[in-house]
Amino acid sequence: MNKHIGFDAIVVGAGLAGSAAALVMAREGLNVALVERGQKPGSKNYFGGAIYTHAIAEVLPDFMERKPKFERPVTEAGFWFLAEDGLTKMVTQGGKLNAEPADAYTALRADFDLWWAAQAQAAGALLIPKTTVVDFIRAAGGAVVGVMTDRPEGEIYAPVVIISEGVNNLLTQKLGLIDHDLEPAHQALAFKQVISLPAKEINARFGLPDANHGVAASVLGDVSLGLPGMGFIYTNKKTISVGLGVMLDTLAEYQLRPYEVLQRYLEHPAIAPLVAGGQLLEYGGHLIPEGGWHDMPQLYTDGAMVVGDAATMVNALHWEGTNMAIISGKLAAETALEAHQQSDFSVRTLAGYEARLKEGFILKDMKQYRRFSRFLETHPEFMGTYPAFLNDALGGFFSAYGKPKRQLFTEIYQSLTGRRSLFQAAGDMLSMGRAVLGW
Amino acid sequence: MFHALVAIKQVPDTTNIRIDPETGNLVREGVPAIMNPYDAHALAEAVKWKRKLGGKVTVVSMGPPSFITTIREAIELGADRGILLSDRKFAGADTLATSYVLAAAIEVIHKEEPISLLFFGKQAIDGDTAQVGPGVAVRLELPILTYATKIRAVDLENGFVTVERHTEHWVEVVETPMPTMLTCEKEIAEIPFAPLPDLIRSLRYDPEIWTMSAGPLEFDKQQVGVLGSPTIVFKMGTPPLPEPGEKFNTREVGVEKAVKLALDKAAAAGVLQAVLGGAQ
Repeated sequence: MNKHIGFDAIVVGAGLAGSAAALVMAREGLNVALVERGQKPGSKNYFGGAIYTHAIAEVLPDFMERKPKFERPVTEAGFWFLAEDGLTKMVTQGGKLNAEPADAYTALRADFDLWWAAQAQAAGALLIPKTTVVDFIRAAGGAVVGVMTDRPEGEIYAPVVIISEGVNNLLTQKLGLIDHDLEPAHQALAFKQVISLPAKEINARFGLPDANHGVAASVLGDVSLGLPGMGFIYTNKKTISVGLGVMLDTLAEYQLRPYEVLQRYLEHPAIAPLVAGGQLLEYGGHLIPEGGWHDMPQLYTDGAMVVGDAATMVNALHWEGTNMAIISGKLAAETALEAHQQSDFSVRTLAGYEARLKEGFILKDMKQYRRFSRFLETHPEFMGTYPAFLNDALGGFFSAYGKPKRQLFTEIYQSLTGRRSLFQAAGDMLSMGRAVLGW
Repeated sequence: MFHALVAIKQVPDTTNIRIDPETGNLVREGVPAIMNPYDAHALAEAVKWKRKLGGKVTVVSMGPPSFITTIREAIELGADRGILLSDRKFAGADTLATSYVLAAAIEVIHKEEPISLLFFGKQAIDGDTAQVGPGVAVRLELPILTYATKIRAVDLENGFVTVERHTEHWVEVVETPMPTMLTCEKEIAEIPFAPLPDLIRSLRYDPEIWTMSAGPLEFDKQQVGVLGSPTIVFKMGTPPLPEPGEKFNTREVGVEKAVKLALDKAAAAGVLQAVLGGAQ
């Protein structure tokens, strides 16, 4: 008989949610196993965006003293509206974005996740890398009492398991917490390139005074050929992350090849000069669960809770997900601590996880934005018509044609109504409001 | 008791290596460190025999404290004890000084628990010298079997090991008294997927660190590191790439024409005649 490997808690996946959960539990003295399938935390990730500090501070108030692996603070953020041959930007800089520490930092997850997991390890969690959890160990009544990994003699026991497996939610399905695969219409495939350029060159091209300033932009319009999807561009210290997310069903329906769409984006006359001469360091993609509220699994069962992407905690419009992952991990950990105090790991105690989520912003936002992913699908004009119109309108406004201004405004007006009637436009704005405000 | 000693080295993962064109040095930044693959296969074979016969596997390595991760990896793969020989004075060692330090340590380990077999990789993928194993064998006056590809049998009772070794033209099957040293090819064993208990043990394992004097032996300072190394690396660089030959674009001239042009070119250079002549 092999020695039984036992812990107080098991966390499946050392991403943002998992390491946050492990940190919070280990800090309170629990013996925590943090199981990661990659060679190292972050090695299976392909996110390249911004990390929000409010969430990190909730878990680790002194995070800035621990030298987090950030790239640049986001000091300029906004929307870029791409027409076929033009670009209109709506960006904000300074003001709130100059806070210290910044509200958001760009990050490369291969570096950031390693640092984040190291904080959990420093608190006492045992990181078990190169090991994939393939199933659960269940007690007679069905309660989760451990996990089975892909290694020989690979069972690990614990009275509570936090599932932070990410978008590919096989374990969540195995527990019956969600009864279907996520539909292609509810998942975006985000693909991007990481392009290396000297820091000075990045500063010059993006109009940044130094490497302590950075840009994060959502790019709409021609980037996704007017189809449901959004582009992004982030400045890192010595690299630029540039890419886009397109709903999976759209890619399939239009037979789009991600690399061709991305290449077209990179060759856009407004984008090409930003990346020109850079060296391609990485190219890849990752799924993002954007189904939102309607795809959320049941969040807990006897002996287990689901956090982060596995629970589809993503707000596509605001590029939020990393913060919800961290906070959901923390809340699940606090629930696990309570379960240990009460020696009750059944749904009676673990229901506290959902209650904690309801108190905070996560479930409120998820519910409010529940129509948003459907909204993009049913209103492609926000990716096509309106970005093109904006470019036409502003381009006209700032050109001196030598024509009476009244004629210019008529042209601008017609450039809208030629695409969309006023009545339709008013309807679009109203649905946009509904989708965002959750009415 | 079967006691295997495995010597391991940490090397940069050369599958993705770059040379600084100006200095001619290896760019180590961002290159992951791994266990020398030949050593890993040798270790896998040692562990296989331990699992079969019972006993113990001890790994030893010389290097800076960063080598601890590689010792832990050896524990993950089934080693029982890990010793890192680490001292600033060991730095800059050539193969002579390295073999001195390893041999001195192995002698002490052998006195504590007699060693049946010593496993070395046939060479390290960074230095490619294949000298340290033989150097240690000579210092310890042990029989050595290089290019070992298979252990057929270990006879603990009579103290013999039967080993296959690949030479250029054939396979030699050799029976040798133990203790003996093998320098191993990769074919000797597959690297297994470690059981979870071994992985967990490795994550918590702290290897023994033996320095110049803080350990069970004192090293002779004249024989270690730079002082003990008669080899001087005068210069490092990459050989220039050969001049590329002329290219005939098949899309422009067509395949047949391109082949003919290439053959004519080769014939003019006198190469073709040699090749065709050889074939006839």
